[in-house]
Amino acid sequence: MKLKRRAFLQMATAASVAAPFVRTASAAGDAATIGWPNDVPSWDPNQRFTPDAQPIFKAVYDQPLDQDAQLKLVPHLIKKWELAPDATSMAVELRDDVTFHNGDKMTAEDFRYTFLERIKSGVKLDTANSWKKVDDIVIESPTKATMKFNAPNPTAPQWMAFLGSYIVPKKYIEAGGLENFQKKPVGTGPYKLAEYELNSRIVLERNDQYWGPKAKVARITIQIIKDPSARVAAIQSGQADFTLNVPVREVQRFQGQSGFAAELNPITRVILLQVRADLNFADQNVRLAAHHAIDKAALSKAFYGGAAVPLSVVATPGSPGYLPDFTFKYDAELAKELLKKSGHGPDNPVKIGLAATNGQFPSDYDIARAIVQMWQKVGIEADLQVIEYAKYFELNRASKLPEATLYSWDNATGDPEIFSGYLLNPKLPFSAWKDEAVGGQVLKLFNVADYDARIAGYREVERFAVEHGATIPLLQSVLTVVRKRNLQYAKYGNGWVLPQTLQWS
Amino acid sequence: MLAIVAKLVARRLLVAIPILFVVSALLFCVLRKLPVDPAAMSLPTTATIAEVEAKRHEMGLDRPLPQQYVIWLADALHGNFGRSIQFGREAGSLVAATLPATIQLAGAAMVLAAIFGLGGGLLLFHLRGSSLETVVDFASILLLSIPEFLWGLILLFVFGVVLQVLPFTGAVSPNLPQPHVTGFLLLDALWVGRLDVFASALRHLILPAFALGLAFSPAIMRVLRSSLFDVYHEDYIQQARLRGLSERQVLLRHALKNAALPTLTLAGVQFGILFSGTLLVEVIYSYPGMGNLMVDAVRNADLPLIQAIGLTYCVAVLLINTAVDSLYLVLNPKLRVR
Repeated sequence: MKLKRRAFLQMATAASVAAPFVRTASAAGDAATIGWPNDVPSWDPNQRFTPDAQPIFKAVYDQPLDQDAQLKLVPHLIKKWELAPDATSMAVELRDDVTFHNGDKMTAEDFRYTFLERIKSGVKLDTANSWKKVDDIVIESPTKATMKFNAPNPTAPQWMAFLGSYIVPKKYIEAGGLENFQKKPVGTGPYKLAEYELNSRIVLERNDQYWGPKAKVARITIQIIKDPSARVAAIQSGQADFTLNVPVREVQRFQGQSGFAAELNPITRVILLQVRADLNFADQNVRLAAHHAIDKAALSKAFYGGAAVPLSVVATPGSPGYLPDFTFKYDAELAKELLKKSGHGPDNPVKIGLAATNGQFPSDYDIARAIVQMWQKVGIEADLQVIEYAKYFELNRASKLPEATLYSWDNATGDPEIFSGYLLNPKLPFSAWKDEAVGGQVLKLFNVADYDARIAGYREVERFAVEHGATIPLLQSVLTVVRKRNLQYAKYGNGWVLPQTLQWS
Repeated sequence: MLAIVAKLVARRLLVAIPILFVVSALLFCVLRKLPVDPAAMSLPTTATIAEVEAKRHEMGLDRPLPQQYVIWLADALHGNFGRSIQFGREAGSLVAATLPATIQLAGAAMVLAAIFGLGGGLLLFHLRGSSLETVVDFASILLLSIPEFLWGLILLFVFGVVLQVLPFTGAVSPNLPQPHVTGFLLLDALWVGRLDVFASALRHLILPAFALGLAFSPAIMRVLRSSLFDVYHEDYIQQARLRGLSERQVLLRHALKNAALPTLTLAGVQFGILFSGTLLVEVIYSYPGMGNLMVDAVRNADLPLIQAIGLTYCVAVLLINTAVDSLYLVLNPKLRVR
């Protein structure tokens, strides 16, 4: 009995040590397995705006425009585009060498169908909202078209490379119906969908007729693994070659193991406190004190290994709206002074509520707890309550959110409209801040056609909003990645992990 | 006997109708009272507050609750459970696509739970009075205290990560196709003559089925032992011994048969609980069943889908209970006489 137990322990130890060297997922260089956290909502890429699904859609479909790794807009299916000075129309020229996976040629008819016809037909699509200003698309030739907007649409080029904007095949959908398209999707992308099992796996096979650079790995299997611990186990055991969105501590652990590469990549996602302009936050001194009291560098070090950049505005470094010269400093003494002016202090704390999700993004609840402690030191007593992400909208709608809510906001374009423009827009359901002083400025910017003027406007608003205490930006979020060391990928500033960029070395 | 069983099934089905009605009403009311906004969840991030309000109106969320329920019930009776907010597909078709995997997993787990439960119960009874009894008793209590998701993590770590002998993601290996005939993967693999797929699917089923089976077996184990203790005081056991039967024969031929009846009742109840226990295990093992779908639905406040899955669980439990009661009738002649 003793011997057996010893033998078992020895075997387990040996296997544990050997585990990082065992490869079972994809032994050949022409295949790779990715452990992915979420399934696609549907194979109709126009249907739902799900940020996590975009890299998968980008493997099967193409967007009119693309972003490079530094998030600069670059031509893709559209070779040239020109937004009118008043932003009420946009002329585009499409490539003439693109075919769908079924062999049909992609033309301006497909472009018109995607951004106008199918939206007007009443099919429930999220793109119906992002392209609601499209009045008409005039086709001038098989490769040329002009979009006509019923109001200025200054971010139309950015949206051409953003959520849901993928060109779908008109002929194929009209002939086979929507259900058939969802079951057997046909795109123009670098991979064809070979197999799909709901909530289980997606198998992609290289499109050898692709018009652009061919994918290096011929077959990609995306295993849907929702549990972060299971994703860690999958990469550790060799059942996956690449995974993402794992806990930060696991990244740090993998960094010490040979055979693996583990990274914390800062991305265009911000973590912030959405604040109200009323209740006990009606007093600007209290709001600014709450901001000054937060040691963002300490939060980054404690919860993101120091990789998350502390933010002073709601924009990420390198994005157009970022203000590199503006810093909202951490100063606990100043926070106490501000509170003192309003009659508060550690002995007479101001009482507020703080809402946070638990598990919506890495370390969310822990960050909220740390903030509560930082506030306590200066004289702010926060009642921390956990909410589900889905509850945020309902609580905000009913004006039931507390003074501050910890929130995470993803913006793959990096454009300031989709940062401050959305988060501080009183007409959109995210904004907890309903005061016109900031909201009015934001609303005006939605109609500014000139790009430079628009960006300059947002920079001003961002600074004003922070100095006014209308928002409390905290950190630039990070994407955690663990991969086999010899499986390379292109690192995008917005956190995209594109299957077509994977390559064994 | 068949007539009695048919009568029971018919009676149970009649009772099931009001039960389903009440459960569906409760589920509907509870879900509508949750502080989530399905209208906002069903619209993209670019929707304005005015558009969300318009959507609320379109979805009928501004109507009185009873009116909303009547509309839902009328649709449900026509087989329309609404469209999933997240997937944009019929909630009923999503349930139908994932239910076979869950039934397969729960069935396999129940078989394992029954094997461990019966084997463990007999062992516990066999060791009564011996020095090993305390040890085995303690082990069974320890097993009882470990929930299924913890078993899931332990087995995944030991057999998946450390020993690397079993797969733990998905239902079949990435390099193998997944045939679709009935939705039951093991059956489908045999149907299309793919033994490699069958073997792979079986290997993928082992860890989640063991996680569930191990978690639910200790209760069966302990009830069986306790039932055996009871029946051993009966006269017919003594008479069996006097007839010269060995202890093993007495146990297996006479005592076990009678002690199995209360154990069967418990197993029926356990199977209902086990069926809903698949939820966390499916997430841990990325098993593409209904539990996995439910987690998505809850995260996205996908009310039509939650409702459809909730009702399916209810129907499953009712069916299991009916099946167990029928089996009880078959095994217990006394009930047939009455």
